[in-house]
Amino acid sequence: MFHSMGPGRWSPAERATAYVLLIALSLVLIVPFYFVVATSLRNSTALFEYPPKLIPDPLYFGNFERLLFHSEFPHWMLNTLFVATTVAALKVFIDSLAGYAFAKIDFRGRNGLFILMIAMLMVPFGAILIPLYKIARDLGITNTYLALILPPLANPLGIFLMRQFIVGLPKDLENAARLDGVSEFGIYWRIILPLVKPGLVVLAVIVFTEQYVSFLWPLVSVSDKSLTVMTVGVAGMRSFGGTNYGLWSAAAVMALVPITLLFFPLQRQFLARSISGALKQ
Amino acid sequence: MTTTPAPARAALAAVIPYAIELVGVTKRYSTVTALSDISLEIEPAEFVVLLGPSGCGKSTLLKIIAGLEDSTGGEVYINGKLANYLRPKERDVAMVFQNYALYPHMTVETNLGFPLKMRGGKKDVVAREVASVAALLELTDQLKRYPEQLSGGQRQRVALGRAIIRDPVAFLMDEPLSNLDALLRVQMRSELLKLHRRVGKTTIYVTHDQVEAMTMADRIVVLKGGVIQQVGSTHEVYSRPANTFVATFVGSPQMNLFAGRVEGTVGERRFSGAVSLPLDSNWPSLPSDTSVTLGVRPEDIELLPPDTTDAATGTVELVEDVGAEDYVSVAINGQTCIVRTSSHQAAEEGETVGLRFPPDSLHLFDADRMRIERS
Repeated sequence: MFHSMGPGRWSPAERATAYVLLIALSLVLIVPFYFVVATSLRNSTALFEYPPKLIPDPLYFGNFERLLFHSEFPHWMLNTLFVATTVAALKVFIDSLAGYAFAKIDFRGRNGLFILMIAMLMVPFGAILIPLYKIARDLGITNTYLALILPPLANPLGIFLMRQFIVGLPKDLENAARLDGVSEFGIYWRIILPLVKPGLVVLAVIVFTEQYVSFLWPLVSVSDKSLTVMTVGVAGMRSFGGTNYGLWSAAAVMALVPITLLFFPLQRQFLARSISGALKQ
Repeated sequence: MTTTPAPARAALAAVIPYAIELVGVTKRYSTVTALSDISLEIEPAEFVVLLGPSGCGKSTLLKIIAGLEDSTGGEVYINGKLANYLRPKERDVAMVFQNYALYPHMTVETNLGFPLKMRGGKKDVVAREVASVAALLELTDQLKRYPEQLSGGQRQRVALGRAIIRDPVAFLMDEPLSNLDALLRVQMRSELLKLHRRVGKTTIYVTHDQVEAMTMADRIVVLKGGVIQQVGSTHEVYSRPANTFVATFVGSPQMNLFAGRVEGTVGERRFSGAVSLPLDSNWPSLPSDTSVTLGVRPEDIELLPPDTTDAATGTVELVEDVGAEDYVSVAINGQTCIVRTSSHQAAEEGETVGLRFPPDSLHLFDADRMRIERS
């Protein structure tokens, strides 16, 4: 569409077109988000005013008050954060270890196993929902945190990702470590892990986000109120709060807070890392 | 290094073991034989260079000595002890890798101290050793820097330092200079050699660069296709190559080879091929019509006026001025022969010249391309 030389070489007309397109695209992304925020700040009668006001007037914080102090929302959020953090931490460890094995250890059946794992990526979750529930029930872990934490650990995406990160590291690094007297686990722990830090961060963010918004499995596997996670809880507010869109929107806004707090500092970290070329020798 | 005669040395080995001894080392991958029956004894403090083209098995051999790969047959002895079943860290050898293999996430200081730390060295001992190795290699100012902040030469020195600090039985170096630019390579080559003289450690050095091999080695081991072609000092390998491979691989420009046969009767024998030359009586009596290859080094050929008696005649195809000397390519009966001459403008392109091959500097190889010795 434009010259590939970068913005510096663009003619004013091209530049103007680019800006118009980019602004249009940003609006598509920002407008719905703006309406969620705006809705969360209106009381239920102001929601259906005609003509609608772009900026809520007066600003109404009752939805947030009700959500934070008169609902189970904080508890749901804690459950979600606990599950997502635990899964992310375990995933990063398990997947980097497995990725190291697939990338660097020559064992019989390695390629076959790897292909099988990739194939697992193609099975839609809906197809395994019922068998998975049966297994969880037979193991007696439904209605426990284990039901929320264990199944996501089996997702092979992270192993694939970590393998790709690790496979690019030169073999000589491990060999040097081997001669320096490092054990096999030590090679993984002291040499490989520090060098794939950007990959670990990427994986942690992916897994955390996935668990943060996960809905179907927590809905199916857990019915105990004390274990309800945020997504399930918020969905259940339909009965709890009628069709209070203001309250719903407030929940959506609040749900963004932790993930934003997590993402921004980490984003800086992994962008900086990949630029400094920690993987380069 | 002076080499003690084999039987005497074998008796001595009980008292002063070879630093490294290889007995019939073989490495086979499913269909390919990477190394076949390699036997070699390396004396303490000796600098041995494994020389060969890429894929000749020299790096594999080094990895087998280090324990990073298993051999499919044969024995490796390090300091007189059978090492086949020892893990790399138990072998007491240190390796310098082609791409340095410095740990990118550690400073120079941590990189240098790492082997000691992993062997349970106390903090103050490690710090002292790091300081002394850094001083030896002039890295003291770089200790707090990361590998990516160092120049190629400095990285190379850190890699060396990491090997030296352990005080191992032997250093194994896998083309350590090949990632450096030409100028730095020459400089590091002499630094490495000086370091070797000072530290006096057994070194096995792998390279495909014959100049590196010839300048550094006490002994050169020429490998091709996983088979040792020749073991000897630079002089031996250069002046008495065991076969045509060694003859052409060692020396630049390479030795001129002419395929041909022996003709004539005893006393009057000649070599006949692209050139025709009398063979003096120092050659063993080869029957007439034997297929042989004649070899002659470019610097041994004399460039003469075209009508000189007993000189071959050829046409100058190319004159390459390399500064101190000229490489003159001469076409003789369809074959190119390179002459190395120190006098400039000895010949011009297109000119007809005479070439004389001094009888003393001729090499003959038999039909199997093995050296025929003069008596």
